[in-house]
Amino acid sequence: MEVIDRYIYAVTQRLPEQQREDIRRELRGLIEDMLEERAPAGQASREDVESVLTELGHPNALAAKYRGSNDRYLIGPSMLDSYLTTLKIVLISIGIGLSVLFAIQIIVTPDGVLERFTEYAASLFSAGAQGFAWVTVIFALIEYRKRKNAAGTADSPVAWKPADLPEIPDEQSRIKLSDPIASIIFTVLFTVICVYSVELLGIWRLHEGERTVISFLDADAFRAYLPVIWGLAALGILKECIRIIARNRSGKLLAFHIVVSIASAVAACIVLADSAIWNPDFIREMEAAGLLNSGWDNYDSLVSIWTRASGWLVGLVALFGAIDIISESYKWYRVKHSA
Amino acid sequence: MPDVNETINGLLSELRRGTIVIGALSQLTEPQYGYSLVPVLEEKGIAVDPGTLYPLLRRLEKQELLESKWDTNEARPRKYYVLSPFGKEVYEGLCREWRKLIVSMEALTAEVEGGD
Repeated sequence: MEVIDRYIYAVTQRLPEQQREDIRRELRGLIEDMLEERAPAGQASREDVESVLTELGHPNALAAKYRGSNDRYLIGPSMLDSYLTTLKIVLISIGIGLSVLFAIQIIVTPDGVLERFTEYAASLFSAGAQGFAWVTVIFALIEYRKRKNAAGTADSPVAWKPADLPEIPDEQSRIKLSDPIASIIFTVLFTVICVYSVELLGIWRLHEGERTVISFLDADAFRAYLPVIWGLAALGILKECIRIIARNRSGKLLAFHIVVSIASAVAACIVLADSAIWNPDFIREMEAAGLLNSGWDNYDSLVSIWTRASGWLVGLVALFGAIDIISESYKWYRVKHSA
Repeated sequence: MPDVNETINGLLSELRRGTIVIGALSQLTEPQYGYSLVPVLEEKGIAVDPGTLYPLLRRLEKQELLESKWDTNEARPRKYYVLSPFGKEVYEGLCREWRKLIVSMEALTAEVEGGD
């Protein structure tokens, strides 16, 4: 019977992954044994099933008994696997991001390798600690919220009906793990660039054996926006953590996704639209490097591309945000209408 | 004022919690699966609901007091538990302690009943 599956799912979902299969089998055997006692094999009525499940108690309470009495966690077993997955992704992307930046810096300015390397090691440590702290704080908060909302632990049994058991999510509504992983990697790389090496974003030039970069952004002015960047990164990682934990599409998750996407897009547009962050000397530096000449016919149109670029970027951010929201909504729509 | 019976029941279930361990260990010299253990214990006056017994058996297995084996020959696969050599030793030690406890508690409660 389907309600039995839902019960077993509700219990095992709250247990560490490596125990789930064994407990699932044992629990199914137990429920079948208990049913057989009430009615001959295969004849159990809906009432029989409900009375067996009620006797076993609230799935949260049964899961708590399986976990043992020591039930104080910062991050509980039902979320530990998601936590470790997220942590690995975040730390690896930080490592890769910083290593790539380090390599680029070495190529741009080959002198002072030792000094660069010390900087690299220090930033590896500090960014790693930041990433670790953010992910842990986010998961601990989610765990705390879940615990506050969870009705019926071993100590405070709550009246419940088997009919209230939530549906087992089907395959189609599952979020592919590659989705949030890609988003986290992108978020971390983006943050690493913004925080450590925003001056590397620009036009690269190799001239007479010397590499120079003409930055798009004014690193000092941009620095004022770093708290916004940190906020965006935390919000983005929070969203992906929730997706990794939930692993299933739902209306609530979609609403949250849309809110976070809009908030991030708006914040990004505000930063991009501020003319102060753009390198004020860009055109002059381009001319000095010989990449632009006021004598050229198309000089004015080339300059206007630069002055209008920020507007285009704002449009681009809005466009990507809209595409993301539409594609997520469409995926949820498909789940809803195939059920 | 709290109800006397209710309070007794609450305290009693706390007391029982520990004794169920000894009860379960005592019946596992032969392999049993969880649900076959319930009537055995009940018959001897130790009522335990499966929702408590099943997690307990797993815990005892994890503490290496019990060994387990899945029997898949029957129509319904069942997990059988049996005392491990270590569990046997622990059980015997627990029984000795339990008897001492009975004697001490006997003396304590007799004092109350006999005295004021």
